[in-house]
Amino acid sequence: MEEKPFKVRTLPGPPHPVSPQTHPRSTLGPSLAILSLSPGSGQLPTITASPSPPRQLSLGPGWAQDTPPPPQPALPFLPNSPRPLASLGVCGLQALAKSSGHRGSGKSSPHDTRNLWTTATQSQPKLNVPLPTVREDSELEGSSVGGKTRWSYNQKAGHDSDGGWEESDDGEDKDSFKPEELDEHALMELEMRRGSSLGGPLEEDDSKTDDEKSSSVSSLNISKHTPHRAYWVEQQSRLPLPLTELMENEALEILTKALRSFLRLFLHLPIGDDSLSVALAPPWLL
Amino acid sequence: MKLKQGSFLWYLYLDKLYCLLSVRNVKALVEYFHLLDVHRKKTLNDVLFYHFLHHVTDLKRNQITIVFNMLDWNAVGEIGFDQFYMLVCILLAQENHLEEQFIFRHSRPIFELLDLDGELKIGPSNFHMYNFLFKIKKQQLRDLYHDFDITGDCRLNYKEFKLFTIFSMNKYQESQKAVKEEKAVPEKKVSQVNVSQRQSLLGINHFESISNYNC
Repeated sequence: MEEKPFKVRTLPGPPHPVSPQTHPRSTLGPSLAILSLSPGSGQLPTITASPSPPRQLSLGPGWAQDTPPPPQPALPFLPNSPRPLASLGVCGLQALAKSSGHRGSGKSSPHDTRNLWTTATQSQPKLNVPLPTVREDSELEGSSVGGKTRWSYNQKAGHDSDGGWEESDDGEDKDSFKPEELDEHALMELEMRRGSSLGGPLEEDDSKTDDEKSSSVSSLNISKHTPHRAYWVEQQSRLPLPLTELMENEALEILTKALRSFLRLFLHLPIGDDSLSVALAPPWLL
Repeated sequence: MKLKQGSFLWYLYLDKLYCLLSVRNVKALVEYFHLLDVHRKKTLNDVLFYHFLHHVTDLKRNQITIVFNMLDWNAVGEIGFDQFYMLVCILLAQENHLEEQFIFRHSRPIFELLDLDGELKIGPSNFHMYNFLFKIKKQQLRDLYHDFDITGDCRLNYKEFKLFTIFSMNKYQESQKAVKEEKAVPEKKVSQVNVSQRQSLLGINHFESISNYNC
């Protein structure tokens, strides 16, 4: 199912109401939101990130085996930036990698992420930072946190003259890089690679893969030279945000305390009375 | 009110001109909100909200309750992401000493937050109640009602409040300029001293050279 693009308005710009939760005393409500979701959606914006390839991919013997290497959160690298999109991309992708296992998100699975990563690295091994046209798909259903973070990797970024990671239109979906297509593409390339590495009779397909490589290389080169100015400024002028671990640890602490309070409420104890709650709480909670 | 150092919110920042979070910060905040939203209702109830604020700030219980009631403008007993985002902006504005700018830039939503009764007018009690958030001092309040209560009903409507925000913003900018000028003055003095020292040295050297020449 096609997902609507996540349209984000950057500064400067007037704030837009995000949700139907408005002030009862005014039509618009005291909202400072700067996000504009797709129309009719009263749900939270979600961020999905699909990784872009790191340059260093060693096609070692692991590829010839049945068990592929574990997925690594690849990030969109910038050609001139000293570090990748570490802050939010890392948060999102690591959360995706971590949470997908135990939260069981259906749509954006690590398999998709891994395929994106493998496809990108195998097909463009010599490329510098692939600056993808990142589309943030607004996943408006209740899915896990990690599952909502996917950066879609637009190989045919030549169609996106602006190349901005915030700009995405519905018309570009046809040319964009869909995970379903990626899966097939990735699988085919994997098979080709394995065949070639084993010396199989797949040499005829090498020319096709070379053509595909060159086209993808050219499209990515074009995309590298069309960065969104605000995006670059954002990347280069600010300090990176802390990693997901800090966020998760803090949320965990807050939720643990909240759970204790819920227990106290359930047991009709005053909030803040730690002695009784400690005595009655299960050991795993302490 | 102070943010706990090293907490997640402490690492966020507001744009100094518009007093809003950047897109990257908002994304991080969305992720954070999702983590706190254990019930998967895209809201935080009062218990979660209390523990969140208690963990990241030094606010007291009654202050947290006041903030919750202020933000729960739908009176549903839960806080959505809109309200959460606004709260974070308010906290960051206070942390970074951008209260005047924040009130100036977002006078409408702040007015509606202060207007608890929905009468489109706010009195001194409203300001007193949220003094720990917006840091409007008593003297400022007196000046506010003395200078801007045009209607004379001891309450401010939105236009009067907007005038107040413009005035306080001008005052803030003037104070900032004065501070910068004060900083620039000792630098000028130091540079002037250096110049005079150089000139004096050059004068001595010139005299010596002349005397040597004469000799």
